[in-house]
Amino acid sequence: MSVIEYDVIVIGAGVAGLTAGAFLAGKGLKVALVTSGEPTACLSTGCIDVCAQAKNPLQGIENLPDEHPYHFVPPPMIHQALSDFQQIMTNRMLPYTGLLQENSLVLSAIGAFKTTCLLPVTMQASPKSDDEKIHIVTFAGLKDFYPGYIISRLKKSSFSTYDAGVSTTMGIAANFEKESFLEAFLLWMEKLGIREDKIAVPAVLGLESAPVILQKIENRLERPVFEIPTIPPSMPGRRLFNALKDHFRHQGGDIYWNWPVSGVEKTGRLIEAVITESPGAPNSINARAFLLASGSFVGGGLLALRRTIVEKIFDLPVFVPGQRETWFNQDYFSADHGIGRAGIAVDSSFRPADCRWDNIFVCGAILAHTEALKNGCGHGFAMATGQAAALSCLEYLQ
Amino acid sequence: MKSEHCIRCTICVENCPVFRVNPDYPGPKQAGPDAQRFRSSREKSVDEWVLLCSQCKRCEMACPSGVNPAEMILRAQQKYSLEHPRKAAHLLFANNYYISRLGSLTAPLANSFAATKIGKRIFQRMGISTKIPFPKFSFKTLREQKRAHGGKNRKVALFCGCFINFYRPDIGKKIIQILQSFRMDVVLPPQVCCGLPALGNGNLALAKSFAAKNVSSLSNYIDAGYDIVYSCTSCGLCLLHDYSGVMGIPGAKKLAENCYDLHEYLLKMITEQEMKPEFKEVKQSLAYHIPCHLRALKIGYPAASLMKLIPGLTTRILDDACCGLSGSYGFKKTNETTAQQLGERAVSLIRQTNAEAIVADCGSCRMQLGGLSGMETLDPVEILWKSLQIQNRK
Repeated sequence: MSVIEYDVIVIGAGVAGLTAGAFLAGKGLKVALVTSGEPTACLSTGCIDVCAQAKNPLQGIENLPDEHPYHFVPPPMIHQALSDFQQIMTNRMLPYTGLLQENSLVLSAIGAFKTTCLLPVTMQASPKSDDEKIHIVTFAGLKDFYPGYIISRLKKSSFSTYDAGVSTTMGIAANFEKESFLEAFLLWMEKLGIREDKIAVPAVLGLESAPVILQKIENRLERPVFEIPTIPPSMPGRRLFNALKDHFRHQGGDIYWNWPVSGVEKTGRLIEAVITESPGAPNSINARAFLLASGSFVGGGLLALRRTIVEKIFDLPVFVPGQRETWFNQDYFSADHGIGRAGIAVDSSFRPADCRWDNIFVCGAILAHTEALKNGCGHGFAMATGQAAALSCLEYLQ
Repeated sequence: MKSEHCIRCTICVENCPVFRVNPDYPGPKQAGPDAQRFRSSREKSVDEWVLLCSQCKRCEMACPSGVNPAEMILRAQQKYSLEHPRKAAHLLFANNYYISRLGSLTAPLANSFAATKIGKRIFQRMGISTKIPFPKFSFKTLREQKRAHGGKNRKVALFCGCFINFYRPDIGKKIIQILQSFRMDVVLPPQVCCGLPALGNGNLALAKSFAAKNVSSLSNYIDAGYDIVYSCTSCGLCLLHDYSGVMGIPGAKKLAENCYDLHEYLLKMITEQEMKPEFKEVKQSLAYHIPCHLRALKIGYPAASLMKLIPGLTTRILDDACCGLSGSYGFKKTNETTAQQLGERAVSLIRQTNAEAIVADCGSCRMQLGGLSGMETLDPVEILWKSLQIQNRK
């Protein structure tokens, strides 16, 4: 057998693709992951939304419409996918907390509360109501975070500004990885004489060691400290991506960066290889099965044209929610836009419905009827469908 | 150029090594698509900070929208350099090829001069950093040592690159020996610098003249049935990407289509059953620092796939950190701190793996990482050569 022939090629480096890829690589299969760039997961808050519109995510899933792809994942498998995730993140020193039976609240950068299921341990102490007294520490010149938004809602809070020498999220986060910087920051914090019950910082506490850095601040100031997720560049999103990527690699998977699929090779009912354009000799990779996790519109898996919607890799049939006029709601901020239902409809084995190919499996945000915004189906949905599609793919290959 | 495709998601900014440590650089989003809208061919460039981009291409690798900030910045760098007086360091590094030829001819003298105090002071006056030691010229270059070799199977024309030719001909010899051991015909065709140092120092005309010479020479070999194989990932990226892109050299497409990274080529030969290597055990744990330009080649990490076949070898892939040197970039005084901070971070990630040695395809990455860490650095070729137990024939 050739050295570069893979069992499975995963398309997309988001949470769904990385979860599915790591699961299959962990079962001893040769897995390659191709991606055209970094995923939208990097832009996320790093929180794991399972079904954020309900108080109890599991109950919420049960109440979703019949055609929702969550119903193809048996509830024990949802449990399994999320507890596997928690284990992975604990091993990667970025533990997550939370319960599948009850959503938690996380304070956002505009002072509103976001509902989520699992959250990074650095957000564990996030307040649950407007009444809590928090002291916000922000950084001079950091233009992606305004404590004023939060103080206008949490009236009992106050803020201080630290000059970190640099004013960007990445720059400050990189500084926090240095002992000397943290020490100087702690000395400054001690002199503030903070009276509030909790301390909040925008999510810039380190590139990868955030839980350790947070713990050090808590120990010195003797009160809970938590991170507030910011707009991109979002460190918690990047930490999540990096950890899942490292885990995938640790399981033996290969990643091909900047590898937008521009064509496929097929024979009969099978896809045989994916091809990318390159200035050099044609690049193609073979595999026995393909897992599509290319995301929805923002992720780049779907493309809306004037009259229709296309799937960009395999040109799979796309479920289109009626006429274009019905795709959108007048209210921009409404989560209930028809377009949220667009995507690839699948059967219970996560194979595309009415598909000419036998060896394609689909997971994550590209699935039809997901309505990610309306139902709050985020990374948790990606993990659950990722694992379910991977299992189905594994059964097919055996 | 697709500046309008940018959705301002900042993923490129998160991936920019320079932006992370140098507050003077506005990052690839601003320097690329944002500034692009204000650039006009009829107006003189004013944005000197474009020169702070090290052309690692990480922004392009990360962009989910297919935008190419690095290329926009590269073009802006060329325009800026053309319109403004060049600094001594830029002139020196652009002409690295000629200087290396001179350096090799006078190797013992040139090496000891570069290490003296007065030598270092002269370099500093020219705006050149002496933080990490310069590579040592080799008295006999690879091209002087080796001529054509008879073989039976495939025919390979090796583009060895300046680093191997002038500084590490021993690695070049090992490449030739590996290919020969599988009965391949290996030649070193007439070649000059790939042109990347000239491009990186704002001398597009010089880069183009290098490129044209290489394309015309290598084309003859392609016509004669040779596959072109390069081992330096930055030379490779320049041959494949910049010859047809920024430089627009006629015949570049033909070259690109017949040009392979050494390890990519070996994998291809194994797949096509042209060679059946028997890898012997190498007991070592390595941190494999992926050069930024290998990522940018879009061929995966072929040397990693090969090293996976070696029994006893453990390799940890590290591709999140740029070493910071970026060829001549980090040797310039203005970039010294940037290069050092980035290098130290790369080294700290390497140390976390507890590896015994660092392996990297790129000579300049090895120079930086070895210089900052004091650890042993290896080219993947050296590992393969050891594992294949090839005797050092004269």
